[in-house]
Amino acid sequence: MLKVKDLQKKFGNLRALDGVSIEVEADSVVGLIGPNGSGKSTLFNVVSGFYEKDGGEVYFKGERIDGLTPDAIAKKGLCRTFQIAKAPERLTVLENMLLAAEGQVAENPISALFARRRIARVERKNLEKAMDLLEILKLTELMNEYAGDLSGGQKKLLSLGRVFMRNPDMILLDEPTAGVNPTLTTQLIKVIRELQKKEHKSVLIIEHSMKVISSICDKVFVLNYGQVIAEGTPEEIQKNDKVLEAYLGGV
Amino acid sequence: MTIVNFLIYFLIMVGIYALLAMSLNLQVGYAGLINFGQVVFFCIGAYTSSLLATKTGLPLLFCFLLAMIVSGFFGYVMSIPTKSLKSDYWAIATLAAAEVFRLVALNEGWLTGGPFGVMSIPQPLRFLFSMENYPLFYLFLVTLCVIIVFFALALITDSPFGRDLKAIREEEDLCLSLGKNTRKLKLEAMVVGGMVGGLAGALFAHYVTFISPENFWPIETFLLWAMIIVGGRGNHAGAILGAALIQIFNVSTRFIGEYVSLGSDSMASLRMVIIGFLIIIFVSYRPEGIIKEKKKVYDPRNIR
Ligand SMILES: Nc1ncnc2c1ncn2[C@@H]1O[C@H](COP(=O)(O)OP(=O)(O)O)[C@@H](O)[C@H]1O
Ligand SMILES: [Mg+2]
Repeated sequence: MLKVKDLQKKFGNLRALDGVSIEVEADSVVGLIGPNGSGKSTLFNVVSGFYEKDGGEVYFKGERIDGLTPDAIAKKGLCRTFQIAKAPERLTVLENMLLAAEGQVAENPISALFARRRIARVERKNLEKAMDLLEILKLTELMNEYAGDLSGGQKKLLSLGRVFMRNPDMILLDEPTAGVNPTLTTQLIKVIRELQKKEHKSVLIIEHSMKVISSICDKVFVLNYGQVIAEGTPEEIQKNDKVLEAYLGGV
Repeated sequence: MTIVNFLIYFLIMVGIYALLAMSLNLQVGYAGLINFGQVVFFCIGAYTSSLLATKTGLPLLFCFLLAMIVSGFFGYVMSIPTKSLKSDYWAIATLAAAEVFRLVALNEGWLTGGPFGVMSIPQPLRFLFSMENYPLFYLFLVTLCVIIVFFALALITDSPFGRDLKAIREEEDLCLSLGKNTRKLKLEAMVVGGMVGGLAGALFAHYVTFISPENFWPIETFLLWAMIIVGGRGNHAGAILGAALIQIFNVSTRFIGEYVSLGSDSMASLRMVIIGFLIIIFVSYRPEGIIKEKKKVYDPRNIR
């Protein structure tokens, strides 16, 4: 599904990504862990087209995508969330969900003027889907609140909601559970897992909690100083000496 | 000038500025595009329509339409650098673009009449009305345009397109991550804004029948900003209200000028100083303007 080959990214003298190669198979949930500053978010930013790479290749569904603009990459069905959740302040929670919906009509002024019937029909369908998702994310009560008034954790939930509305083939999640309370985290994990089982989405998830990782990931990559230092199942990773060293060394 | 005549003149000007303010509001209030060169659409619309009318004798309806098209095209041109310039640099570029146009109008005398401007601009359906009644007809025409533009813009912004614009205003990266071509969306907002601004320019030119580069100083853009800051952004009624209030202020100071012995130059400067203060007060104490952007509230019972 997603194949990253020897990816390089420098910030000045800092090698934030130093030859990273990872592969995410279709229909799987893969974890990406590593100490703070190891380059996880940078990897997402380069793969999703927000940062320019300094070397290497990225393939999605067999196609080269490095060099494309972020919106073009998203259109191909690869969608990401941000570590610091983004939420347009003066759009309500529900509007945020609708904003992300796939297959919208009238995203231009001409159709906005002349395709009112079709807009109404599609919006209605999207509203129903949005309400179902908000229910799962426990955001129904907040549907008419401005997204700018949400807490950090709620914004994280909303970014997940938007991604589900968007319904891409593959999702990159940057610390989706940071700031979300433990009960809801468990719930979220269930949602991600179910979605993946039912709709066969691929997921690449950055996550600090080993508990979360072991409960949903089929495979894990460990990043340190911009390099992959280990890969394997969650059990293998937890026993890996290099990984333990990286984490302890970081403390 | 009788009171009635003056009132009609005043309302026509409010209507023309309301169009310009609505156009600016679409760009600034919805899409978050900081356009400091809005007057350029006014200028292009006015010159295109009046030059076509005086030099080619084209029917005025077509002059108006072409003014909108040319001005809309310039909106497209202006949106091109949004790709490579950060929004603050783009803002400066818009200011410069507007000045460039005014200077072209001033210096390319063979086309624009230079400092003398364009004179004897014909008026639409002038032959149907007497001298006294024509302004009333023109007021009707301008009002009609304001109403049509108001409803058209309301439809445009109350749509997925309008929602995209607001999202770009606040989180452009998020829009990109959701696969939205933000460049194209901004471009479309600029083209629509340009067309409305061009319409206002044509209405102005054919009303006053004489235009010159003097009408298109950057200060006009400043006034339009004052209108949307005072009236409120992110809704079209705010732009109209702001246009009315700033025009009332302008006019009332003109009357005061008759009693206070200040030269007309100092009076004009004083007026700008006061509007500047007004902007500061609004930005500090009521940044959303008099009419606040409305939250779109859904009733859950209507969804299922
Ligand atoms: N835009 C940037 N400019 C300069 N340095 C950056 C930028 N983004 C990230 N970095 C640096 O790159 C390294 C990796 O950061 P990041 O990918 O955010 O780590 P992680 O997500 O694994 O915590 C850090 O040292 C960080 O300071
Ligand atoms: Mg990070």
